[in-house]
Amino acid sequence: MSTDTGSVALVGDEVVENVVRAALFAALTGVFSYVSFQLPVSPVPYTLQVLGIFLAGVFLGPRWGAASLALYVVAGAVGAPVYAYGASGIGQLFSPWGGYLWSYPFAAGLLGYVAHGTDERTPTGEIALWRLAAGLTAATVVIYAFGTVGYAYFGDLALFADPVRALVSAALVTAVPFVPGEILKAVVAVLAARSERLRGA
Amino acid sequence: MLSHAPGDTLGHRLDPRTKLAAQAAIAAVALARSTPAWLLALTLVCLVALRGCGLSVRAVYAEYRGVLPFLLVAPLVGALRFGPPWIEPAGVRDPLLAVYRTVLLLALAAAYVRTTSPRESRAAIARLVPGRAGRFLGLGVALVFRFLPLLRADLRRLREGSWVRLGDERRVDRRVVHLAVGALERAFRRADALALALRARCLSWNPTPPALSFARRDYAVLCLTGALIAAAVAW
Repeated sequence: MSTDTGSVALVGDEVVENVVRAALFAALTGVFSYVSFQLPVSPVPYTLQVLGIFLAGVFLGPRWGAASLALYVVAGAVGAPVYAYGASGIGQLFSPWGGYLWSYPFAAGLLGYVAHGTDERTPTGEIALWRLAAGLTAATVVIYAFGTVGYAYFGDLALFADPVRALVSAALVTAVPFVPGEILKAVVAVLAARSERLRGA
Repeated sequence: MLSHAPGDTLGHRLDPRTKLAAQAAIAAVALARSTPAWLLALTLVCLVALRGCGLSVRAVYAEYRGVLPFLLVAPLVGALRFGPPWIEPAGVRDPLLAVYRTVLLLALAAAYVRTTSPRESRAAIARLVPGRAGRFLGLGVALVFRFLPLLRADLRRLREGSWVRLGDERRVDRRVVHLAVGALERAFRRADALALALRARCLSWNPTPPALSFARRDYAVLCLTGALIAAAVAW
């Protein structure tokens, strides 16, 4: 067993806090993927997984939000049961719904960037409502764009031969039924960002 | 739910980096060569891998039974046309092969999960990804494995507390806000306590990495993986 005898490079206090928060948000996104609820307007059962992405972008900012979701994807790939309905493994990244998983770090990073306005984190309670709304919309678009293209590509729906038909039919399965649930999750993310109980976070 | 189980099969004794490399290589070959002949060959590879990891096909089927209906939607979508004749049976073939390919990759992932402990995965990531990124991913993955059951228990307590107070009769948005804010509060509290503990223990970017070493069996598996890729490139 090798031992590193060089000088010890301590992790800075602020970075420790951010690393831990990133890991906890990755785990929280995994826990949310077990929770499902039903809306009266759609027969699809929604999981709260995407809420975890929204919250990571809003509460951790662009850099650590993206890092948190990268951690989520890697942890799931090596066996942590964090993907939808407790699934895990590298195979999920190449399955028809793998496009969603690839999108999460980008979506959280973009949401954080639009909401916070810079690549640094500003206190959550001070984020303007229009910035939150724009960020959440952009993140949702990224998730569905990756998800739809991923479904058409990994599901071999002739993406290159007939792209319009492939993407439209993929969107009918992967995006359209989920829009009502996404609106609800975006509203919940805004209310959580405005919550007095989380003011000091 | 499938999780790591200690054992002494060939799969358990392989280095986690070998298993990750083999999975990635087989996924690449399956994506690049989704023909019936190649998928048949990869099926044999998967059956050998499952046997080497002490997993039965039945156990893998039981694990992924729930996702099969979602997978089988793809061939139906493939047959859909936006104009006469509306349904084109020939469009089913490629998505069906893609579904089969996905099932093979999920089976391999199940073999990895069954035979590899979180600690080994963490060590593999810390060694495969260089520098601070590798350290971050290794530490973070370990924390995700550690905190997942705790946060799940937090969330269960929140939901049970809500149910006994007839919370399930509230509007769905209020229920979800209550759950999300409560879960976040607990997650932040746990994060603050953990960050304090890690600072007190002088968390560093360059700790002694956990021991991992390649044995002869790892080289044999890597050679076979290389041969598979070479064959896929050649044919």
